[in-house]
Amino acid sequence: MADEDVASPDGAATGDGAVACRDLSRRFGEGGAAVDALRGVTLEFPKGHLTAIVGPSGSGKSTLMHLRAGLDKPTAGQAWIDGVEVTGLDDKGLTELRRGKLGFIFQFFNLVPVLDAAENVELPVRIAGKDVDPAWRDRLIEAIGLTDRATHRPSELSGGQQQRVAIARALISRPAVIFADEPTGNLDSKSGGEVLGLLRRSVDEFGQTVIMVTHDPKVAAYADRVIVLADGEVAADREVSGEDDVIALMRDL
Amino acid sequence: MFALALRGLASRKLRAALTALAIMLGVAMVAGTFMLKGSVDKAFDDIFAEANAGIDVTVQPKSAFDTGFDLPESGAALHESLVRKVESVDGVEKAAPAINDSTSIAILDENGDRIGPPGGGPPQIAGSVEPEPFNPFTWVEGSAPATDSEVGIDSITADEEDYQVGQKITISGARGAKEYTLSGIGRFGSGIPLGGASFALFTLPEAQAITGKVGEVDNIDVEASSGVSPDELSTRINAILPQNAEAKTGAEDAAQQSADIKDGFSFLTTFLLVFAGISVFVGAFLIFNTFSITVAQRTREFGMLRTLGASSRQVLATVFSEALMLGIIASALGIVAGLGFVALVTGAFKAIGFELPQSGVVITADSIIVPLIVGIVATLGSAIVPALRATRVTPLEALREDAQGTEKPSRRRVWIARALVLVGILAIAAGLFATSSFGSALPLLGLGLILLFVGIAMLAGTLVTPLASFVGRPIEKLRGVTGRLARENTLRNPSRTATTSAALMIGVALVVFAAVFAASATKSVGDALDETFAGDLIIANTDGFSPISPDIARQVGDVEGVETVSQLSGAPAEVETGTTEQSLIAGLDPATITKVATLDWVDGDNATMTGLGPDEAIVESQWADDHGVSVGDTVTLRTTTGEEVPVHVVGSLRDRVQLLVTSLALPLDTIRTRFDARQDFADLVGFTPGADAAATGDRVDKLLADRFPQAEARDQQQFKQEQEDGINQLLALIYVLLALSVIVSLFGVVNTLVLTIYERTREIGMLRAIGASKSQIRRMVRYESLITAMIGALIGAVVGLGIAIAAVEALKSEGLVLAVPIAGIIVVLIVAGIAGVLAGIWPARRASKIEVMEALQYE
Repeated sequence: MADEDVASPDGAATGDGAVACRDLSRRFGEGGAAVDALRGVTLEFPKGHLTAIVGPSGSGKSTLMHLRAGLDKPTAGQAWIDGVEVTGLDDKGLTELRRGKLGFIFQFFNLVPVLDAAENVELPVRIAGKDVDPAWRDRLIEAIGLTDRATHRPSELSGGQQQRVAIARALISRPAVIFADEPTGNLDSKSGGEVLGLLRRSVDEFGQTVIMVTHDPKVAAYADRVIVLADGEVAADREVSGEDDVIALMRDL
Repeated sequence: MFALALRGLASRKLRAALTALAIMLGVAMVAGTFMLKGSVDKAFDDIFAEANAGIDVTVQPKSAFDTGFDLPESGAALHESLVRKVESVDGVEKAAPAINDSTSIAILDENGDRIGPPGGGPPQIAGSVEPEPFNPFTWVEGSAPATDSEVGIDSITADEEDYQVGQKITISGARGAKEYTLSGIGRFGSGIPLGGASFALFTLPEAQAITGKVGEVDNIDVEASSGVSPDELSTRINAILPQNAEAKTGAEDAAQQSADIKDGFSFLTTFLLVFAGISVFVGAFLIFNTFSITVAQRTREFGMLRTLGASSRQVLATVFSEALMLGIIASALGIVAGLGFVALVTGAFKAIGFELPQSGVVITADSIIVPLIVGIVATLGSAIVPALRATRVTPLEALREDAQGTEKPSRRRVWIARALVLVGILAIAAGLFATSSFGSALPLLGLGLILLFVGIAMLAGTLVTPLASFVGRPIEKLRGVTGRLARENTLRNPSRTATTSAALMIGVALVVFAAVFAASATKSVGDALDETFAGDLIIANTDGFSPISPDIARQVGDVEGVETVSQLSGAPAEVETGTTEQSLIAGLDPATITKVATLDWVDGDNATMTGLGPDEAIVESQWADDHGVSVGDTVTLRTTTGEEVPVHVVGSLRDRVQLLVTSLALPLDTIRTRFDARQDFADLVGFTPGADAAATGDRVDKLLADRFPQAEARDQQQFKQEQEDGINQLLALIYVLLALSVIVSLFGVVNTLVLTIYERTREIGMLRAIGASKSQIRRMVRYESLITAMIGALIGAVVGLGIAIAAVEALKSEGLVLAVPIAGIIVVLIVAGIAGVLAGIWPARRASKIEVMEALQYE
């Protein structure tokens, strides 16, 4: 858990939030064909919250996440994770960041097919060259309900089970923030519900910070807070309660 | 469909280029070999045509049979008086005697060593100055030698050695070394390089003296009077010639000499083609693998085409058109690259001192058509199985999510593989044990090896898992999770890993085979020397194979401390043992041989040798068994002059590696007088008991250096070393040629890695997302490459060792004993590992450039 007290950059709007960004802009292409995917977005994601970024296709929600996670470079603006300025890091720095402070959950579960469930869970720790804490690993596997299937390979698991493994994998290194990209996009509603319930629990039980990108109001309803993006700008940003509230928020725009 | 195939190739440029490169190398070797053959053949035709340009008819000693390229000359020459007789034939305008001898002289440098490469080299020919119109030389500097202390040298040698007219040059011959003044430098014909051969021209009497042919000549050149055709004249001359001489037209003689030497060079063509074949075969593996992977990756595309109404034949045509185009392009490039192979081989030969004669590269139709066919057939043939697999794709598979199933080897496939291995082993065994000559064994061995390698490659899928664990575990222990992932990655599709590593297996198997076989040959010769040689020194030509003057034995015998000098001589003869066979008949000195050699008697004892009569012979026991000859028989020998010599077999001895006796041994005198063997192969020297060995050795060395610089005395250890060096030099050449096939197989590793990395793009992006660094990704790919290479190398080492053991067993009767160079094999494995890591470097770099973003991409 990233609870060390890192000083915020001077004058930055990071507050004590785990994750923040200021004036993030991203322009694709040049000249007349240029598209502004993101136009000066400033946001703060407090610790221990599940935040959903929603918006229609082309709204800039994926771009925002890519920039936030250091996968892409902004045209202008800055982003911080746990006090570290992501937008200024080189490849080496980003690798270090991913090892210590970042977790990812993908739409296509992206497990390593040749490793079993438990090995997939502990992979980030082993890649970082650290020792696996077996108690923590076992607790996570128990939490995802796969204790009896820990030695199964991904091809022997259902989609929902695979995504649960992916969640445990994201949690294993106790990152400052987990980015989830349409985590239920490839699942049926029952499995999706289980996966979202698990994400919710990781926030409630482990105090994990999660940022989730989705286009589905049902999914967004699991969040504490919903940020609606439209045309590269924040159109709405507030706490929500229940699916109807999310739908109402999105309809208002 | 053709257009689709072309697009397909274009869209997979990198893969196409890598695959094409693999075929290209093999094709280049085939094309280059044919070009080389064409060039060398033409050069020899030109050389001999120019040499005989002014000669209408030539009279030469007549050999009762063709002694071939590899037997030494018997030294038979014509009596000088024959010149008068030939001159008197009606229609002869002019007749001139000539000396033309390639075994008797050595041109020496200032240190007293033979010029040219150390340890032998191209021939140095002693010739006599001939009058016009026979003379093929044009004096570019100075003039022809006019006295017996002058010499003329050919312009190419003069350039190479930087000779200046007027300087002194020492040349040794039958009577020892002598100093000459360089009177002139002559260009041979139009100045074609003679393949490194040198000419030293003397006055006729001096040429006769230096070659030990006083009163004799090698040939008589004849000019016809106007109006008399060469054919007509040669018939007339033949009518008056004695039995041991014959007349040929100049053109006939040139054609025959050229044909003889080309024949000798044809082994080189065969040799190179064998290695070209290996490279093509390895390339075929690569093509098969590439197409298999491509077809698997395109399953969805093929299924989609089927849903759009494409027939399975059209799918087949797509894959085949792609293979055909690849084959054509690669073969065409290969033919061009063949020029490079010609340069490589020419360079390699030049490096060891044998310059291949060339009058320009000749590109024959063969050198284009054959490689083109080889390249296209190899490509299409290797694409058949993957193409058929593509036709089995159903429209349904277009809809499947994970379309790249890892197929398990089917039961049928395993049985086919086992059958291939079995038939391959049987064919190799038949080639090794059931054939009588190398020529008839070669096709069987080749076929057997191909079947064996294909079979093993098919079975290797089952070997991959244990071998990957064996190789991968240490890496995993040392390097942790990247090693673990690398090992597991090689196991994702075992048959793919197997085929990839099988290509390397072939190269490693052949390298290990060559290494073991060479070590066995070295050990066999060494052991036999230890067992047979009981003297102190062996005197032989510095080049290791040319004969030496018999004067050496006489003079060394007078050296203080030397007790015994036993001359070893011999001559080719036809041996009548039911069938007629040519063999080298040994000439041993009965009085001395037992003092310097330990003879392994099967029937008889040293007294049999000491008392050997002029018409008595001793047989080599294995040869005698093979030819149904036993002690008490009479065997008829026919000399090169056509004389029949019946000999009585009185004893039998075993000479495992034919150091002294190949078939029969006769007393030295009989070989000298009746077989006209004028020179010795070697002298065995024994010191007086109690003599100072070092001092005596020094005295012998000094005598040889002063009087016979082309000969060298070696003790047993040095002699063994020299034999070993010779074998190792050949081994080095084999390694260079096999290296080309290993390079092809490394392209295979690169190609497979690039393809599998492409398949795993999203997974690698994910690994980056969860914290893997670029260098970890690179390491993972390099380890995968290393493991794949080591699997091939380990299987290859076992297969190569097995074949070598079988081959040594087959040649046991020839005296071969097994020696396994364990250190050498370990070096081969290490080199294969390094090659594997090198092959992984570039794919690893590509993999490390994959961005995390690609793990997030929605298809």
